[in-house]
Amino acid sequence: MGGLGLAGAAAGGLLTGCGAASGAEGRYPQRPIQMIIAYAAGGGTDVGARILQPFLEKELGGQLQIVNRPGGGGWAGWNEIVQADPDGYTLGFVNSPNFMTGYLDPRLGREGVGPDSFTFIANQVTDYGAVAIHPDDKRFDDIGGLMAYAKKHPLIVTSTGVGSDDHYASLRLADRYKTKFDVLHNEGSSDGISDLLGRNADVVFANVGELTSHHEAGELKVVAVMKDSQERSKYLPDVPTLAEAGFGGVESWSSRGIAGPAGLDPGVVERLSAACRTAINNPEHIEQLGKQGLEVDYRAPEDYLRMIRKDDKNIRRIGEKYVWGEQARQ
Amino acid sequence: MDTTLLAEALGNLLTPQVLLAIVAGVVGGILIGALPGLSGTMGIALLVPVTFGMDPVAGIAMLTAIYAAATYGGSISAILINTPGTPAGAATALDGYQLTRQGKGAKALGVSALASTAGGLVSAFALLLLAPPLAQVSLAFSAPEYFLIAIFGLLIIGSLSAGSLLKGFVAGALGLLLATVGIDILTGYPRFTFGTTALQSGIQLVPALIGLFSLSQVLVLAEGRGTDRTGMAEGLRGRALPTLAELKRIGATILRSSGIGVFVGILPGAGGDIGSWVGYNEAKRFAKGPEKEEFGKGSIKGVAAAECANNAVTGGAMIPLLTLGIPGGSATAVILGGLLIHGLQPGGALFAESGGITYAIILGFLLANILMGIIAIAGARFFVRATRVPMSVLVPVIVALCVVGSFAVNNSLADVWVMLVAGAVGYVLRKVGVPPAPIVLGLILGAIAEKGLRQSVVMAQGDMIGYYLSRPLSVVLMALILLSLLAPVLARWLRKRIPEQEREKAAA
Repeated sequence: MGGLGLAGAAAGGLLTGCGAASGAEGRYPQRPIQMIIAYAAGGGTDVGARILQPFLEKELGGQLQIVNRPGGGGWAGWNEIVQADPDGYTLGFVNSPNFMTGYLDPRLGREGVGPDSFTFIANQVTDYGAVAIHPDDKRFDDIGGLMAYAKKHPLIVTSTGVGSDDHYASLRLADRYKTKFDVLHNEGSSDGISDLLGRNADVVFANVGELTSHHEAGELKVVAVMKDSQERSKYLPDVPTLAEAGFGGVESWSSRGIAGPAGLDPGVVERLSAACRTAINNPEHIEQLGKQGLEVDYRAPEDYLRMIRKDDKNIRRIGEKYVWGEQARQ
Repeated sequence: MDTTLLAEALGNLLTPQVLLAIVAGVVGGILIGALPGLSGTMGIALLVPVTFGMDPVAGIAMLTAIYAAATYGGSISAILINTPGTPAGAATALDGYQLTRQGKGAKALGVSALASTAGGLVSAFALLLLAPPLAQVSLAFSAPEYFLIAIFGLLIIGSLSAGSLLKGFVAGALGLLLATVGIDILTGYPRFTFGTTALQSGIQLVPALIGLFSLSQVLVLAEGRGTDRTGMAEGLRGRALPTLAELKRIGATILRSSGIGVFVGILPGAGGDIGSWVGYNEAKRFAKGPEKEEFGKGSIKGVAAAECANNAVTGGAMIPLLTLGIPGGSATAVILGGLLIHGLQPGGALFAESGGITYAIILGFLLANILMGIIAIAGARFFVRATRVPMSVLVPVIVALCVVGSFAVNNSLADVWVMLVAGAVGYVLRKVGVPPAPIVLGLILGAIAEKGLRQSVVMAQGDMIGYYLSRPLSVVLMALILLSLLAPVLARWLRKRIPEQEREKAAA
């Protein structure tokens, strides 16, 4: 692939301007790529992106500029990706399913936008959902007990906001297994965890990456990872998956990956996709994200799109039923 | 505080970047305070975006250093040209200016610097000792308690409005209204967003602060007020450092004023201006014989009492800020904005989870007060000169900083619009005598109150009143709220002790 040669050409282009670039026609990238993060600097997505940055820069032989554009539940940044020129110089990180509420909820007025507004390039991380309870809870101490109890008695479950993956996670579990959950919305998983520890809430819905250290410290007990397969999370080997515990058919994750605006040139996508695959699968990158409790899950463009479509289908149904549809408004 | 935490805090504090930030904050703060018309709040608001790129300890330590130093800086113009640079310097002008007329301006500045440092140090120690146990209590807070504490904070709006209670409540209500803009966190419904993405996350605090405190104030300045500098020509002469005999004379005054200042600071809604007046009046009351006669005619005790008390307010005011997230006044409201953009949510977690950062900030505040004394005395002649900078230079620089700063926080042009609108609204409100601080308080506390109330509805699972009564902390807070209804009465009583014409000056 001649990574080094490309790096040299790109660096030359940067130093001497268009003169050098004219000799490298068709090569990508010729100038720094803007990478939009829809969350503030220092947040989970931002940290993950900055960890990936040097690996991806090396593979692409070009520069990435990380631009934080928080606001509007992420849509300040995602709008910028959607509306950018599809020239490959404006890309960004998309968080699924969290970005879906923004276009699916008709009250937010973004009906014109959807998965087709993006070109999905590579998934970086898939952090599965997990269910945690207080370690001293006398009423139940595993997922089976919890579900049986919640069929009869309403439980207060935490969420990291309307339309967050954790919100949909509890809605989907309640929808399928007829449990009674009163959702307590908060702005982050740490608020939910302190409400659980203070016995103000009964169950925390969050992600593996957010719960692992608390579980290991014994502050709370993770009773299930929200995965519809028998394979356990490598970070929580002592915790069964939902499918294992007999509650199959429901799963939840929070994924993030790189996307650009719709209509990105296939040549550019191919170039980006190849670079992303090598960078994301780099063992050093995997290890650094692992330290954050995050599971690297590289997916190529078609596979990534399939995952997004699956999310879209699930969220559309659950959201319609419980969040913004007729039934929800009663 | 255990030794590992102390070591971590000192490690965070004693880095070149942090120390430089504190020195810059002290120098900048004294300058801002010394310039008549520019308040410390305005300076802090302007610099919050600058701290964004710094590490949290450096950034917040710089903001608190400005807060302390600007409170002292206000005395420079109060003493030399009888124009308090900040409302808190008004009491200082009484005796300070008389000293200047007697040719003892340098001495007055020296006493002021010393007294400010002493008051600031006492308040910093109070913060260090009182904040952690209070924070421990707030760790047990959940939605019902946050709702009640926000209501508690909203009640102090009455006392924040220097003049009319009604105008204060109008401003507070406007802030509450602004707090409802954005996506409703419990239903996801977009409120007052007018179809824009920018407003979906609500009115951004920092741009609103910059507009309300900095831009609106500079607009008032641009009208040409306060440009009369005829009394400014003289340089400083004579000895600045007080003699040992003089130190002995003011020692008791400084102790008393420190205590008063810290107490007034902790009281929500009573700021540096009230602190310095109460300190001044108490010093006068305790003085005997010829010393009492001297007050108003050039008493170094008068200068020391006022300056010490208003600096002692600063540390006191940071106690409720750091432990509960309740800013008692405008300067602490802006510092709250600074904490939030660094992801530091005030409350128990600030001490439990980011103790290394929090204690470094507190120790940095302590250090800033020491440096303030040294820099103030060493650089007195330089700071005097700085008070002559013409408005025609200052105004455009500040406006430019307002625009750049509000853009920088989120790289968002929409935030610049928020700042401009807030600046225009703040200007109009200032013209009709409505103070901007209650708006900001309403904006901050309105969001906390709404979230707390609505979350507690979910938690109560039906029986709201029973739920609130079943929580001991909630019961205590409800009792406090009932008591706080008396706070405006207390504040008014304190204000009554301010001479009429000075009160108006302080409110301006």
